[in-house]
Amino acid sequence: MITAERKPLEEIIEYIRPFQKILLIGCNECVTVCSAGGRKEVGVLSSLLQMSFLKQGKNLQIREHTLERQCDPEYVEELVSMVDGVDAILSMACGCGVQEICRRFKNKPVFPAVNTKFMGASERQGVWAERCQGCGNCLLGVTGGICPIARCSKQLMNGPCGGSTNGKCEISPDVDCAWQLIWDRLKALGMEDRYEEIIPAKDWRPGRAAGPRKIIREDLAE
Amino acid sequence: MNIQKRLQSGKFVVLAEMNTPKGVDISRFMTYAQHIRGRIDGVVVPDMDNGVMRMSALAGGALLQQQGIETLINVYGRDRNRMALQGDMLAAHVLGIQNLIVVQGENMACSDHRDAPPVNDLDEMGVLNAIRNLQAGKDMAGFDLDGVPQFYVGCHMAPFADNAAMDAEIELARGKIAAGAGFVITPPVFDMRRFGEFMKKAAALQVPIIPTVFLIKSVAVARYIATNEPGAHISEDLIRRIRTSSDREMEGVRIAGETIAQLRKEAGGVLLQTLGWEHRLPAILDAAGL
Repeated sequence: MITAERKPLEEIIEYIRPFQKILLIGCNECVTVCSAGGRKEVGVLSSLLQMSFLKQGKNLQIREHTLERQCDPEYVEELVSMVDGVDAILSMACGCGVQEICRRFKNKPVFPAVNTKFMGASERQGVWAERCQGCGNCLLGVTGGICPIARCSKQLMNGPCGGSTNGKCEISPDVDCAWQLIWDRLKALGMEDRYEEIIPAKDWRPGRAAGPRKIIREDLAE
Repeated sequence: MNIQKRLQSGKFVVLAEMNTPKGVDISRFMTYAQHIRGRIDGVVVPDMDNGVMRMSALAGGALLQQQGIETLINVYGRDRNRMALQGDMLAAHVLGIQNLIVVQGENMACSDHRDAPPVNDLDEMGVLNAIRNLQAGKDMAGFDLDGVPQFYVGCHMAPFADNAAMDAEIELARGKIAAGAGFVITPPVFDMRRFGEFMKKAAALQVPIIPTVFLIKSVAVARYIATNEPGAHISEDLIRRIRTSSDREMEGVRIAGETIAQLRKEAGGVLLQTLGWEHRLPAILDAAGL
């Protein structure tokens, strides 16, 4: 999933300070799962903003709504009837959702209320960790199912650096050494010979190197 | 008198661009530089210009400095992050390179190493600010430098297709000048009337303006630029002149020389750009009467 964290309240307040009526929209997908921008977080942020402005003598009007998916034009259409009556839109979706709202409502200021962080997985309750950088040419088949691009702090492709100690990365004892994880898993699977394979200099074109990316499925595209 | 003093005292400077080799054979690079030594004020060394991997500008600039030729090297953030850029600029200073031109890099997708990830840590304003910090004795992390470099810094203006884009580029240049650029390299000039219109606006920048004089090598090149960059203002008359010439290569040289001669009254200097035909630089200087 795409993970996110709510922006500091002060930053959000500065975005919406010039406006009276705000449409605050959440998203039922990734940001709900990582507790950053779902229905519940929309309610909490709405209350916080109203209280903050009330202290300053301003009665901020906030309309709350949470879409099934903000990155999907079909669901964004739901907002049409709500947008006319507000001065600005505050989105708690990831950057994809915010930009879809901007694309649909060209004449309305739209502001992000979360910082989009990374593609990751839940490690345990309340903890999410990076797992994928969307390089466009998945290496997991040769690295034992653990990604050195997303999980090695130096993005090394052929084994660990000298900073790997007791399975941890030199940047923090909280960060696992990706190459230790890769080695342990290959060993457990009896696939140690994979470790000997040299991964050549990566072609980064399928990633972001060749500019903004797009997928066109000819069989589906209208 | 060095380039900075010449420009700041209103003297016309002639700069020539020379690309480093794609390899380690520097014989042609050094020979062509010797051919123009004393006839130009400085050599601009691009850094993997047009996205072609070559010997770095830092080495090219240092080699020319050793020969007593003042150099200006291009710096930009496509291939180097702030650590590498700052380190290389310190290196440039100790190797005798006094002039930097902050430019935009070609997109990596258009380079000869399309599979490489671009860095793009700093944009032009970021690099200019980094240089200003270094000259104030600090690196970008705020740490003190042991020995402070000094540079004469220029910036670059991208080609503009119409008046609106011209105004936008002049505005961008204004920001770069505020960030420390002391001169501006502008796009190739093929139409003096158009350049005159540009200068009426660019004069307000109050720094030396150095237009590029581009050697048109063939009718095909002229036609390509006319078709793909209408803002360059290559006229049909100009293309006809080259096409009907008995020596088309020499006609391009003559046109470049005439352009330089005309720009002497209009600009702070010129940058001769031959894109690999550095052996033609002496002939262009001859044609310009330099």
